[in-house]
Amino acid sequence: MQDGAQHAASSAPDGAPVGVRARFPGLARRLPWLVLALLAAFPLIAPAFGLEYYVGFVRRVLIVAIAATSLNFILGYGGMAALGHAGFIGVGAYTVVALVEAGHSSAWLAWGGAAAVAGLAAAAIGAVSLRTRGVYFIMITLAFAQMLYYLAVSLRTYGGDDGYGLYTPLEMGAGLDGVHPQVFYWVVLAIAALVFALFSRVAHSRYGHALRGIRDNETRMVALGYPVYGLKLAGFVVAGAVAGLAGGLLASHNAFVSPSLMHWTQSALLLVMVMLGGAGRRWGAPLGVALWLTLEEVLKLHTDYWHWPLGLLLLLVVFHAPQGVAALFERRAGREAAR
Amino acid sequence: MSLFRAEGLVKRFGGLLATDHVELAVEAGEIHALIGPNGAGKSTLVNLISGLLPADAGRIVLDGVELTRLAPHQRSRHGLARCFQITSVFRNDSVRDNLMLAVQAHAGSSFRCLARRDAEQALQQRAEALARRTGLAEVLERNAGTLPHGVQKRLDVALALASRPKLLLLDEPMAGMGPEDSVQMVALIRSLASEAGILLIEHDMDAVFELADRISVLVYGRVLTSGDAAHVKGHPEVQAVYLGTEAGA
Repeated sequence: MQDGAQHAASSAPDGAPVGVRARFPGLARRLPWLVLALLAAFPLIAPAFGLEYYVGFVRRVLIVAIAATSLNFILGYGGMAALGHAGFIGVGAYTVVALVEAGHSSAWLAWGGAAAVAGLAAAAIGAVSLRTRGVYFIMITLAFAQMLYYLAVSLRTYGGDDGYGLYTPLEMGAGLDGVHPQVFYWVVLAIAALVFALFSRVAHSRYGHALRGIRDNETRMVALGYPVYGLKLAGFVVAGAVAGLAGGLLASHNAFVSPSLMHWTQSALLLVMVMLGGAGRRWGAPLGVALWLTLEEVLKLHTDYWHWPLGLLLLLVVFHAPQGVAALFERRAGREAAR
Repeated sequence: MSLFRAEGLVKRFGGLLATDHVELAVEAGEIHALIGPNGAGKSTLVNLISGLLPADAGRIVLDGVELTRLAPHQRSRHGLARCFQITSVFRNDSVRDNLMLAVQAHAGSSFRCLARRDAEQALQQRAEALARRTGLAEVLERNAGTLPHGVQKRLDVALALASRPKLLLLDEPMAGMGPEDSVQMVALIRSLASEAGILLIEHDMDAVFELADRISVLVYGRVLTSGDAAHVKGHPEVQAVYLGTEAGA
């Protein structure tokens, strides 16, 4: 049953859940655009409902979703359970700090630099880590990320443990600065949409198919003639660079960077969010991030013990939707298609 | 000169000499069968040749190219392909997707990451041609994991064929098969010999005697003897260690 549902979903032309399409023809194709339009309009309509505070919240969700989407790419499609992804977020954030400290103020330079430096770090870390498999890969990526963490702690120039405040916002240029207080929100939204669209596209390319082949049966892929190590490394570097970009954006978002960004618990949290949403599923990462952060936000309003219900939620997902929330929709879709 | 030669291959696992200075040759168009009792080192030898295990000593040459130091995927590029004793296909994908993946590996770069793969007509046609040739055309859209064992075995061979190999290593293609499936597999293997040399590891003696041009017997990691079916059947040591009473009766 489940296999059938997976298959039906993966063979749908644009990867949208089949059942949604069956019930509301055209909706599945339009849904991403609808979500994008809603998100784009949110800063304009939020004040009318007294929700200004949540514009910043949604911006954070979008930034974390960028990082989670890149993790989903290597975890869900590539089968690489990296437990050090927050390390690359941190490298990106500290690249912004370093550039600001050096007197640069261009946002694009800072964010581009964040992606580039994180990509380089991912190349170095991936080149070593990808020689291992399974638990060893998890442990070695964790170890590298912790090394980056302690490196950041030891950097006195950038505030060490106390972190580093970015007091003047980066300049985006092109007449974007100061047009509207929420320009940064739309820039983040545009980048998130672009990243999501690109990864969705790659999933159906030759490279995407090869990556999933490696996840499902690496030995066979080697025997078929695939340069498995190179293919994995390429994915790891791209994912690291995109996480670095998210880190750069997060630095701007918080106007503050500290080593806690790349603590291993952040890497674990990112993994949890991806698996909650559905690893290896197109909508897995954004769904998981939105669900987790929203619940956290709501629960914090009502109780100091907000970890409890989140833990219960995780248990629920483990037992009732081990493939993630995104899979729930697809499974229902499969059941309807079978009727 | 032979299409394929293995010279002085050695593999040790600690104190165990799993492959003991093995010499093997396969001519173009030849089916060379490798038989031997359990634990004789047949699978180790296949893994040495395909590169999944590094050899401790010896040389492997295919069509004039030395493969000994090459990684498995590079050996595949030089014309070596294998199937697996324990069926190794992509169980959650359709037969079509399985074949597409195999065809894609040897037709252009797999680092291409923007164009939709399934829109590549050339790949689709090659996958479909491969399916017809291996009798899988009827089950193209089925999930590989849901197919009967014999059909999955055929898919395993089809995946190996996608690279248009010069040498095909078949590691027990008939393992666990019923008689009907075996007949189909024998016919398929025979049809492949025209385009590739075949090294066939098999326990099914009927199939081996029916297919093989030459048979080598592996015992304790060493090649005991090599020759045609009559030679092997009549060899006293082979009867003793392998064919046992069955051949004596």
